[in-house]
Amino acid sequence: MIPALGLAVLVALPWMVADSFFLNAMILVFLFGTLASAWNLIGGYAGQLSFGHAVFFGLGAYTSTVLLSRHGVVPWVGGAVGAVLAAALSLAVGYPTFRLRRHFFALATLALGEIARITFLNWEYVGAAIGLYVPLQFRNRLSYLMWDAKPPYYLAALALGVLAVGVTAVVDRGRMGIYLRAINQDEDAARAVGLDTLRYKQWAMAVSAALTALAGTLYAQYVLYIDPYNVLTARISLLVVVIALIGGRGTVWGPVVGAAFIVLLSEYTRSTLGHLGQGYDYILFGLLIMLLALYEPRGAMGVVRRLRRRSPLPVAGAAKDRPPEAEAGPPTAEALLVARGMTKRFGGIVALDGVSLQVRRGEIVGVIGPNGAGKSTLFDCITGFQRPDAGTVEVGGLSLRHQPPHRIVHHGVVRTFQLLRIFPELTVRENLLVAQPHRAESPWAALRPSPREVEERAARWMRVVGLEGYRDVPAGELSYGQQKLLSLAMALMTGADVVLLDEPTAGVNPAVIQEVVACIRELNRGGQTFVVIEHNMEVIDALAHRVYFMADGRVLAEGTPQQVRQNPQVLEAYYGR
Amino acid sequence: MDLFVQAVLNGVLLGLVYGLVALGLSLIWGVTDIVNLAHAEYLMWALYATYWLWALGRLDPVYAVPLVVPASALLGYLTYRLLIRRVLAAPMVSQIFATFGLLFFLRYAAFAGFGPDVHGVWGSRLEGSLALGDLYLSRPRVAAAVVSLLAYGGLWLFLHRTKPGKALQATAQDRMVAQTLGIDPDRMFALSWSLGVGTVGLAAVFLSPFYQVSPTIGDTFLLLAFASVVLGGFDSVSGALVGGVGIGLVENVLGALIAPTFKLLFVFIVFLLVLVVRPTGLLGER
Repeated sequence: MIPALGLAVLVALPWMVADSFFLNAMILVFLFGTLASAWNLIGGYAGQLSFGHAVFFGLGAYTSTVLLSRHGVVPWVGGAVGAVLAAALSLAVGYPTFRLRRHFFALATLALGEIARITFLNWEYVGAAIGLYVPLQFRNRLSYLMWDAKPPYYLAALALGVLAVGVTAVVDRGRMGIYLRAINQDEDAARAVGLDTLRYKQWAMAVSAALTALAGTLYAQYVLYIDPYNVLTARISLLVVVIALIGGRGTVWGPVVGAAFIVLLSEYTRSTLGHLGQGYDYILFGLLIMLLALYEPRGAMGVVRRLRRRSPLPVAGAAKDRPPEAEAGPPTAEALLVARGMTKRFGGIVALDGVSLQVRRGEIVGVIGPNGAGKSTLFDCITGFQRPDAGTVEVGGLSLRHQPPHRIVHHGVVRTFQLLRIFPELTVRENLLVAQPHRAESPWAALRPSPREVEERAARWMRVVGLEGYRDVPAGELSYGQQKLLSLAMALMTGADVVLLDEPTAGVNPAVIQEVVACIRELNRGGQTFVVIEHNMEVIDALAHRVYFMADGRVLAEGTPQQVRQNPQVLEAYYGR
Repeated sequence: MDLFVQAVLNGVLLGLVYGLVALGLSLIWGVTDIVNLAHAEYLMWALYATYWLWALGRLDPVYAVPLVVPASALLGYLTYRLLIRRVLAAPMVSQIFATFGLLFFLRYAAFAGFGPDVHGVWGSRLEGSLALGDLYLSRPRVAAAVVSLLAYGGLWLFLHRTKPGKALQATAQDRMVAQTLGIDPDRMFALSWSLGVGTVGLAAVFLSPFYQVSPTIGDTFLLLAFASVVLGGFDSVSGALVGGVGIGLVENVLGALIAPTFKLLFVFIVFLLVLVVRPTGLLGER
């Protein structure tokens, strides 16, 4: 209701205020609001900071202007072509750098900006340092996007801003927003539950670049003259980041609030303090960003959110709704997960030395052994987080060789981490939604909210692990034991056939250990297969049908917990001869 | 041929200075695990300091060393105390914001203070050129290269032959283990920022006779320094030097052979190519 009213006021504004200085300032607010919203998709939600968005802005401006001045193509088409080019370029830059730590992407985009500036400064076809004029048209104003008064530009810029905020709102409300925020917080954890993180980052980057290019086209049509100094300057790249950061990254309205604040402040201080030259307002922005980094990384929207704090945590200890006791079926003979001859070396150290392991459907397999035996490395190699030097892994007869982690989850093998990895700033419900099955999901489908049956499954797993009272609590505020339960629920949420648990009870208090054990046992009765790394022998005794004992990268013994306990090699490894 | 040899020589001389600028970035990165986006802004401020000492105080850049270098080191120390220390435990995104805000602040403070004009030091004692057969070497560039090598030698001795230097290396490798050995990481971090920004001050003083300063030189130098670190590898401090020389060679040799206007373009393209070709080997992590 309020946004609709606000929009109506904004649409009517040019007929109420005719002041052209004000209208110009508002057009810039909308343009920079669009740019900052676009940046926010990749920089705010996905946490990949781009310092080169001026390239996409410039590409949009140059593409439409070149096509119009040299080939008479209307800017509607030119703008679309520019958006496609910008998206393609962003994918080419993102693909190699998204795999690296975030600094690399930040500096690669900065380098891209310099490359574009130098290239366009010396490229005669696009006017080099002299730039290009947009040829004036006096008819078909709408198709040529060219007017001699400010209000039409005002409306066009407003429409673009509404588009950018609309895209952001769709992302924020759909699964996409949750996925991108998960990637921002812990990319490996997102891959571990089956999310194709590269693909989602690429999507966000391409959409961001395309929106930015559209703003570039409109800007060129508005100022009617472009050169590398006004559309390809690092100043624009940096200003966009500043606006998004001050307004509040990762929120729908933050970039717009930031644009209004910064552009209006700049425009009006410049007109009154014009002789001081630009600089003073920018010093203030720099200080503000440092202060925000120290005290409120969420920007102005974070401050707003703080002012309306939500209600306190619910009281713990809600009743459990365990899955109905299924017929306790013995493990079947079907070999579900088979690893053969797994070998992994780190320099001179052999972490895994020809390890073979077989897991039957419906079984709980324990993996025990002293620290450094290679247990977690085995999990890493099975789930694609490390590439084994030799050996094969098959699930249901299908080879997992060289598959990336998310694909392995799609094939039915999921793992948890020894050092807990959840998404602390997402709520319990959102954590579970990140872990929903992603097998046939495309980024476009992820723009919709989760289907109702997925929400219901998430609610069911919350009940199973006793977290239903914490549905909307950020996972970072849970106790350590609850976080462990949450990570178990996330692994189950993926629907994988085999769940690999890396020390599910380590660091958990004894009461919660009982809960975890009971939970795993009951799920197993329902047919779920587990492989559990564990040091606590009582837990192994209570859970495992079979145990592998590992030491120094090799499997030394295999059998029931009872058998393995009495194996002389095991006794030697644990107690010495 | 002479042109080529001349370009190689110029490339090595300039590359050594790039290496000195990159050294601070690499040192701070290695020890505190923070990429300082404002690194080149310190260079810009130190260049202004050298310039104003010359323009107002008639002080030759050579004699500005004892003023500009300690002032830079102090600036680095203060940055650590007031800003970096508080974001050490924060998520990486917050750390990037913090140094980005610093970049903006320092750059536009220079804009406000000194205006957008380009300034340069003329008639330094160092000016002139050395003839080497058919080749000419500019004396300021030779001096800058020699100073870079001396600074590197000094830092190497410090890191390998003194106790604080070894403590610094230990902190870079594993701050937790260093702490259990009785090393105060906080002091080591402060030391790395003082040293890192101090060396940037030294680079600025010797760049001043042949490099003009304006408030916006930061982007180029940040990328040059970062490209040097990436090219040279992150394992050791000497990587920054090797990388700097590599970058200097790319800039000067390709610039001379193809077109001088595009010399920085070549540097940035090589930088992006290295990122594409050797992505995992770069940082030596995971």
